[in-house]
Amino acid sequence: MDALVKIEGTNFFSQTNLNGEYKIEGICPGKYVLNISHPNCKTKNKNINLKENKTYDLKLEHHINELEEIILSDSRLFRTRKSVREVLVDISEINSYGSNTLVDALNYIPGASILKTGNSIGKPVIHGMYGSRVGIVTDGFRQYDQQWGPDHAPNIDFDSFETIQLIKGAAALKYGGDTSAGSIILSSKRKVLRDTLFGTSFINLESNGWGGKLGSRLEKNYSNGFYINGNFTGKRYGDFNTPNYVLSNTGFKEVDFSIKLGKDLVSKGWNLKYSNYNLEPGILKASHIGNVQDLFFALNSSEPSIIDDFTYNIGAPNQRASHQRLSFKYFRSFKNDVKLDFGYSYQNNKRKEFDIRRGGRTNIPVVDLLLKTQNLILGFSNIKMENWGFEFGYNALIQDNFSTPDTGVKRLIPDYIKLENGIYIQGSYQESNSFLWEWGLRLDHVFYDAKKYYYKSVWEERGYDVLFNEFETGTEFANQILVNPKFNYLNVSAQTGISTKISDNSEFNISYILSQRAPNPSELFSDGLHHAMAAIEYGYLGINPETSHKFLLSLSKTKKNYNWSFEPFISKTFNYIFIEPTGLKQTIRGAFPVWTYKSTDAFLTGIDFNYSQSIIEILRFDIGASYVYAQDILNSEPLILIPPLNSFQKLKVSPKNSKWTFEISNHISAKQNRFPDSNFIFDYIQDGTIVSKTVDISESPSGFHRLDAILSLQIRNQKNFTANLRLIAQNILNTDYRDYLNRMRYYSSELGRNLQIQLNFNY
Amino acid sequence: MKFYTKFSKAKILFLAFIFTISCSKDDPDGVNEQEYISNVLMTIESADGTTQTVDWDLSEMNSQTINLKVNTDYTVGLRFINSSDPTEVEEITLEIIDEADEHQVFFEFADVSVNVTSASNDTKVGSRGVLLNSVWNASSAGTGLVRVYLIHQPTNFNATTREGFGGYNDVSIDIPVSIVE
Repeated sequence: MDALVKIEGTNFFSQTNLNGEYKIEGICPGKYVLNISHPNCKTKNKNINLKENKTYDLKLEHHINELEEIILSDSRLFRTRKSVREVLVDISEINSYGSNTLVDALNYIPGASILKTGNSIGKPVIHGMYGSRVGIVTDGFRQYDQQWGPDHAPNIDFDSFETIQLIKGAAALKYGGDTSAGSIILSSKRKVLRDTLFGTSFINLESNGWGGKLGSRLEKNYSNGFYINGNFTGKRYGDFNTPNYVLSNTGFKEVDFSIKLGKDLVSKGWNLKYSNYNLEPGILKASHIGNVQDLFFALNSSEPSIIDDFTYNIGAPNQRASHQRLSFKYFRSFKNDVKLDFGYSYQNNKRKEFDIRRGGRTNIPVVDLLLKTQNLILGFSNIKMENWGFEFGYNALIQDNFSTPDTGVKRLIPDYIKLENGIYIQGSYQESNSFLWEWGLRLDHVFYDAKKYYYKSVWEERGYDVLFNEFETGTEFANQILVNPKFNYLNVSAQTGISTKISDNSEFNISYILSQRAPNPSELFSDGLHHAMAAIEYGYLGINPETSHKFLLSLSKTKKNYNWSFEPFISKTFNYIFIEPTGLKQTIRGAFPVWTYKSTDAFLTGIDFNYSQSIIEILRFDIGASYVYAQDILNSEPLILIPPLNSFQKLKVSPKNSKWTFEISNHISAKQNRFPDSNFIFDYIQDGTIVSKTVDISESPSGFHRLDAILSLQIRNQKNFTANLRLIAQNILNTDYRDYLNRMRYYSSELGRNLQIQLNFNY
Repeated sequence: MKFYTKFSKAKILFLAFIFTISCSKDDPDGVNEQEYISNVLMTIESADGTTQTVDWDLSEMNSQTINLKVNTDYTVGLRFINSSDPTEVEEITLEIIDEADEHQVFFEFADVSVNVTSASNDTKVGSRGVLLNSVWNASSAGTGLVRVYLIHQPTNFNATTREGFGGYNDVSIDIPVSIVE
């Protein structure tokens, strides 16, 4: 929404443009009163004495220039980096699609996909990459949970935020330079400087899983800038079902709350926030398997081996994750507009994984991790010299991971301390509205100090006794030795790009991004059995940081009746770290494939495309598509787990002056024909003789399409109270399909039809 | 640059943060793996009192051959041991007996034909023998192998193939078998 500049007592007025500029022409010299108003700000008057053409710089409390990364009520975005195209979505819009998790929501953004483990655990995938290559930022701080694991969902209650920004590529240098895939930034809206109390509440009921979610948010603002808000979300689902059977033990529980208070003025502000997140998902019972033979049976069966009646109970295997965060932020603007930001956050992440165990130990977790992260940010921004703008800052991090020995299971991730120090500087040069040049540079030092027991046999088998002899401490336990690996990494990341307007309504951006990432603890230290994959996973101590070069291009056009964007990217990553099968290991439980972290050189390229057109006034058609091509250059084979070609089409009817809208959307996913061969062969006893069987874990499932529909009704629209009712149907045709990016695809299909009722209140 | 001086407070905070970095981790406690099975011990006893023992060891993974005679009854006893910590050897068999209701031993033979029944001293759940103690009888001569399974939480206790049992493997090892006339 734009600010309105009026000359009182006349008909002269002007609306500010995107850049906050305004122009009033044809006025006679004289004394006037300028009246500046904006719906989210206090109205201001200014007396002027006009003799000639003159420029008046006017500032309102919460004027636009300073609202970095904060979105005004019409969702106009303040972009982190203007030379990289960003996607912004309102959380309320995401809710209207009936999404239950943060990553579900990303399904509606071309270029983003989800890597799933069942239906309640998902990780965002951008440009074909996930995990440590995707950064998640909440309220200005990076999120630190056990993000390295593909079966670890980000521990965030997305309902407590208001907007999601998706940045492709590591352009958001102030948050880190290691996220070569991109970043997801969750923010709250800027506060209104008025005495107000408002709230929102929602309730969702769903037929698939016979559950729902319930939440409320209350906010009190004062005209002196003080505010306090609180947030609560609860979710409870029983076993979900596919079109043909119940997915036993897939229900989940979630309880989250947060409280935030602070004071926000134009020149300074602070806030203090505490948030608490608790998730307890069940894992499909049939996915707990023994060895390759069990995996072979699962792959050759059309249904999971265990199908029980529907229940709300969650048993082993399951997970319990909790995330607490306490953060403090302070900012201040000086006379010369330079802005200082200071922030500190403490994050406490607990993660427990339970498995079916013998000897009454099922309620003792097999993985029990406590990760404590302290984070400090300090930044100076808005330093301006004519057409040049600068910003610089410092981030520091101390992370302490503790892995409880009480599990009675070898630790998958060892105890470690990680220290990170980073400095960044970025700047821009803007000649006019139609040309902008941006650049940024960041340096990070990463240090690991880990303490880990290795089985002597493994330590020697992998050649560590020669290569990393200096890590040996001399302490022994049974037939294990204690080692103390220490690693230092120095990473450089950089970005430069330009943004130009080709015409009034089309824009062209091009950007080059260099990013370097130190290996994460799982890539270095993993050492154990992963049940759902029937795989033994090994990290590698000698792994080097990966370096990625990426070019991003975007061309977009916005007209009244249509808009489109076209965003290709191309990247080459040296030392791309990935995990691949390296043979079978015989254990007492039979044979297991061994997966080892390795590095190669990877080439990735892809295109995201979006087009939206008003067909007639009340009818709008949207189409989006994205494709990624990924190749392991050294081994001349495709990379694993790359999203296949996918597209969505959406038709939305919104009659004028009526209280309802209706939309129908279709998701198409092609079959992924490019996947590496990770199959292995094992000896199988069939009819009294040994035969060799291939365990085909590589083949991708066939393509599918899924139809969804949403009917929205405004049932109450008063000044201080609105209520909306939504009826949502997902997978209307009850299509039975499997998703290549779901690790549970070996065992079961995706969810069947789901009907949802949503009620939202704003007051 | 006047504003820098105003930030001595922030500076102090920042330095305090840097100094807290100098701590290091304590040595973690070692984990003695529970539930772990490192050895499978088989005793094969014939009616005339001759006894063979076969010790399948995780670290060596090659085991002796079981030698049988055709049409002769052998009593086969099965024990599961955790000796990964030599100072604290654990008899896992006791756990299996305690949880007999969710365990089943299954012998699958390749290239030899041996009939297996539950022995009189076997652990039983109702009429079902867990086969910790079993009676073997070979019907013809030959050489092959036996795959010894310890199945946890089978979905069907009376199957004739490994696939039919469901559940998952706590143990799955191969031992050569030689049968003579």
